[in-house]
Amino acid sequence: MKTSTPTEARAIIDNATPPKKIQFRKLWQTFGPATIFLAVFLMISAFNPNFLTSGGMGIVATLSAPILMVALGQAIVLNVGSIDLSNASMSLLGAILLALALPNFGVTSPIIILLVTTAFGIFNGFFVAYTKVPSFALTLGTLGIFQSGALVFSNATAVYVSDNKDFLGHLHTTKLAGAPTTFFIGLAMAVILWFVLRYTKVGRGMTAIGLNETGAVYSGLKNRGLKVVAFGISGFMSGLGSLVIIAQSGSASPNGLGSDLLLPGIAAAIVGGTSILGGATNPINVVFGALTVSMIPIANAVLGVNAQAQSLVYGLAIISIAALMLNGSRSGIVK
Amino acid sequence: MSNSEKNKTIALSVKDIQISFGDLMAVKGVTFDLYENEVIGLIGENGAGKSTMLKILSGIYKPDKGTIELGGKTLKLKSPEDANAAGIGVVHQEQSLFTNLSVAENMDISVGKTGSSSLMGFYNWAKVNASARQTLAKMGSKLDPRTLVGDLPFVDRQMVEIARAIRVGEGANTKPVVILDEPTSLLEPHETAVLEREISKIRELGSVVFVSHRLDEVIRVCDRILVMRDGELVAIRSKSEVDQNELFRLMVGREAKSEKREYRRQNQGEAPVVELKSLTKKGKFKNVNLALAAGEITAIVGANGSGREELCKAIYGALPADSGKLLIHGVEAKNWSVPKAIKFGFGLVPSERKVEGMVGGLDASSNLSLIFGKESTVGPFIDTKKQKAVADTWFEKLDVRPKNPTLELERFSGGNQQKVVMAKWLKSEELELLILDHPLRGLDPGAAATVNSLIRQAVQNNTAVILLADTLEEALEMGDQIVVMRDGEVSSVFDLHKEQPTSLDLLEKMV
Amino acid sequence: MANNNSGTITPSANTAAISNRINWRRLAEPSALIATLFALIIIFSILNPRFASVENLRNLMDQAALPLIIGVGATLVILLGSIDLSIEGIMGSAGLAFVLLSANSRSESDFGLLALLAALLTGIIFGLLNGLIVTKVKVPSFVVTLGMWFVGLGFATVLYGTETIPVLTNPEVSSWSSTLTFGAPNSFWAAVFVVILGVITLILTKTGRSIMAIGNNEVIARNSGIRVDRIKITVFALAGLLSAVAGIIAAIKLGSGSPSVGLGSLFITIPAVVIGGTALAGGKGGVLRTALGVLLLTVLNNGLILAGVSPSFQSGLAGAILIAAIVFAAWSQRDRLRIAK
Repeated sequence: MKTSTPTEARAIIDNATPPKKIQFRKLWQTFGPATIFLAVFLMISAFNPNFLTSGGMGIVATLSAPILMVALGQAIVLNVGSIDLSNASMSLLGAILLALALPNFGVTSPIIILLVTTAFGIFNGFFVAYTKVPSFALTLGTLGIFQSGALVFSNATAVYVSDNKDFLGHLHTTKLAGAPTTFFIGLAMAVILWFVLRYTKVGRGMTAIGLNETGAVYSGLKNRGLKVVAFGISGFMSGLGSLVIIAQSGSASPNGLGSDLLLPGIAAAIVGGTSILGGATNPINVVFGALTVSMIPIANAVLGVNAQAQSLVYGLAIISIAALMLNGSRSGIVK
Repeated sequence: MSNSEKNKTIALSVKDIQISFGDLMAVKGVTFDLYENEVIGLIGENGAGKSTMLKILSGIYKPDKGTIELGGKTLKLKSPEDANAAGIGVVHQEQSLFTNLSVAENMDISVGKTGSSSLMGFYNWAKVNASARQTLAKMGSKLDPRTLVGDLPFVDRQMVEIARAIRVGEGANTKPVVILDEPTSLLEPHETAVLEREISKIRELGSVVFVSHRLDEVIRVCDRILVMRDGELVAIRSKSEVDQNELFRLMVGREAKSEKREYRRQNQGEAPVVELKSLTKKGKFKNVNLALAAGEITAIVGANGSGREELCKAIYGALPADSGKLLIHGVEAKNWSVPKAIKFGFGLVPSERKVEGMVGGLDASSNLSLIFGKESTVGPFIDTKKQKAVADTWFEKLDVRPKNPTLELERFSGGNQQKVVMAKWLKSEELELLILDHPLRGLDPGAAATVNSLIRQAVQNNTAVILLADTLEEALEMGDQIVVMRDGEVSSVFDLHKEQPTSLDLLEKMV
Repeated sequence: MANNNSGTITPSANTAAISNRINWRRLAEPSALIATLFALIIIFSILNPRFASVENLRNLMDQAALPLIIGVGATLVILLGSIDLSIEGIMGSAGLAFVLLSANSRSESDFGLLALLAALLTGIIFGLLNGLIVTKVKVPSFVVTLGMWFVGLGFATVLYGTETIPVLTNPEVSSWSSTLTFGAPNSFWAAVFVVILGVITLILTKTGRSIMAIGNNEVIARNSGIRVDRIKITVFALAGLLSAVAGIIAAIKLGSGSPSVGLGSLFITIPAVVIGGTALAGGKGGVLRTALGVLLLTVLNNGLILAGVSPSFQSGLAGAILIAAIVFAAWSQRDRLRIAK
């Protein structure tokens, strides 16, 4: 084992007081997401007071619902130190399958879809955990497969739900304070996941793996199983994303709603305080992340920037927040 | 010094080198000369400062004070590149070849700009191969320079490393100065013979600094021997005027004496808790047979590369052994893994505390309950209040400061972290075996005393303990039996209740 | 850590014999790929005689051109042990920059060769940013380039604006890529040129050999005096440049500007690099192997479509091949304690 710090020097560092960086990072992870949300919110309201009066937040909540679902799944996967590039395409495939299943299976079809996407997630997790391939490469591969699946099952066109679509539609049309039920389902999932991470052995194990996998293994944690669980949760959340897509649009198409959820999902997780290196996430803050990300097209519009340029902002947000949180915290090899 | 030395040309002159890491002065004013066509040995215990000294000579560390002269010119070594450009070639303890490149490329890659075989960034492959072949020929090797290093067996790789170090000197148009850092620790005896032949070849071409822990070898190979202790150069001896015993004494720094044992053996004649039967891991350790009894401390001592760290990891299930058996209360353990080991009541306090011993980003109380956490969990759920209560009692018991177990463990000092790591295992009533890999590393005396008393407490609770101590004295003081390992094998076992070996006796079996 | 050289500790009885022996295993891999390629060609020719026609051959060359060009950059980055996911974003930005600065339906201003230079510069800047952030801010490359992917797309969208589609009006420009020279489309010749440059860089230059060394073991590379950061930045910039070249050609092929001109390119390139035998961990592989991988995937896609298989299966097939290839490559190292992110 070759390290740049000699044993002697390490001994000295051992007894040093903790660096300020940690405290800053903690502070950001706790309050940053809400602060950014408020800042963007206030900026939009200042430029365009109509935003407040004409139910702008309701629209934002509606837009954020599918993003929130994939972002929560992504946050859980990022928390174990991996990444799931396939979750958005999984949602889309799920939505197409759901549109096809609803007329035949009715009320049970959402459950079938959730099982299917969870199985997809477990498949991802199994490969990552047991074959030790990098998760970005593996999920890039499954992304392609799910994309293909979406094209094949939909015949590359929009699939309209011909029957039994109302009960899912209600999730979108039933609103509380302007926000659809789908958003509140997301909120509930955030609370549940927060509880899981904080108060269960599985949740703590996942965080431990993300923080220091070697240390976790030496403490007897089953690192492989826990990774499978994390990817499974991501699959389940993608399935909820499918439900939201169908509830909102009553149809699914390979190029329609949900076809570009990947980046907003990652951006929402990271703006929501999730560390790209693993071991730090707060699902409740991811809700703020999803809301902020959903406001960006509106913010672009009030600032007079092309509303379509949101991916520029997402990309910059991912890089700069990752840089902000990592800067100086690691000195070793960066691949 | 003698007359003959006065006639020699000085190749490398090191004057008053000093370096500190934080408060710790690792090298304290080392001065020596290296003559042309000379091999000098550099010896010292672990932590004596010899590897720091090597890193200074190879440009990895910059000394706080002092000068290095090569061929009369003062060198400013800011990077390994500078050392290479000056003609100092290093053969590191770990192999440092690129396995995906050819022998010739590996030899060329470190050569400074002037001697390199590339022009305007383009490789002249013919020249790269030709000059490599030439250097190899000087060393008496017929290795094809176009072979990929990854295809070569171990000894040949070492040959390539040495040839590369020489090529560095040639590239700088000086007589090469070659630094060999423990090159023999992984070699078989007949391979060592090959290496020794190679070293005498280098002597004809330039000069050598040779670091080894095998004293017989140092005396055989070197013209003069430098001994370092606690960062200081304590002696320079020429090979004719020294023997192994004197070198031992110089390294250790005091007359060896046997320590009075502080406590008596707890149990006698009971069946061992854990037995190893010819446990083997290729390249790490082989044919290890051991019996560990309840309430006894087995101290394993050995030099770098003796395989004792790996042996501990294998017992703990973190490193799968290739062959041999692990018996627990006489029953063979199958499909051994860390979770299984923990289930059977095995614990490990690793030396790399921050990497292996704990999850620093997690709070201290969670770290405590990661293992044997039943008392603070309800089914799959964690009862954080109970968890904190358990942590509070242990914090009180071990005087961990600050007394706040909800802080992340990485924010505690090293000593307090180690207390928490120990407590993690001691919590269990059914701890059968506790493996301690350098448990006192980096601790201040107060914390070290606490940890030592914790070890004794574990012994009193009838736990079998394996201890990899920092010093031989510590091993002699704490152990009931001492197992000496050398190059992956158990070379000797001492029962301290029947015999009182000195640290010299142990060293003799180590090197 | 990254690499462990725990070679068997056996004495070499006869090293000369070892070095003169042909390493079959190393030859076996590319040979298997070439054999598969020929087998595919034969099967597809039988399935549909049109496959082996001159026209389809030109088609194949044209289809392979872009992945070949991008593949060279991607190979160099992956040999370092890093990854570049920003390919499609850079293609979009560079392609659009080129169209907007050339004679197009939106404006009469034609900057000629300057348009080309500006577009290439766009790619270099994106690549430089990737490299700088990876080496100096120490953010893992997959995060940086994932972000840069979308920064590139966003930048292209901003350039695109809300006006009408910018169509290339100079027929000489818009027909360049499909124009035949010595019987092959220009796009293919451009790809051949890039591949040759790539091979020369990797095999004959100090930079190329340093790339291999860094990918093999970065710590040793640093300690051997290789300027690791500088080389990484250079390679990322080079990859950005090549993505820009591909973006320009893609825009020419399309005949107009579009931010999503690179759509799907990542999906051919990364699997092609990996099945060519370049390891994601770095240090093993090469440009020619990637070229082989690209040809294999192109023939497969083209042949399946001619055989009547829906193009919808394309990305799925590439994905499945990618997974099979990485799992195959990582199989020997799937130790439980090895950390994979």
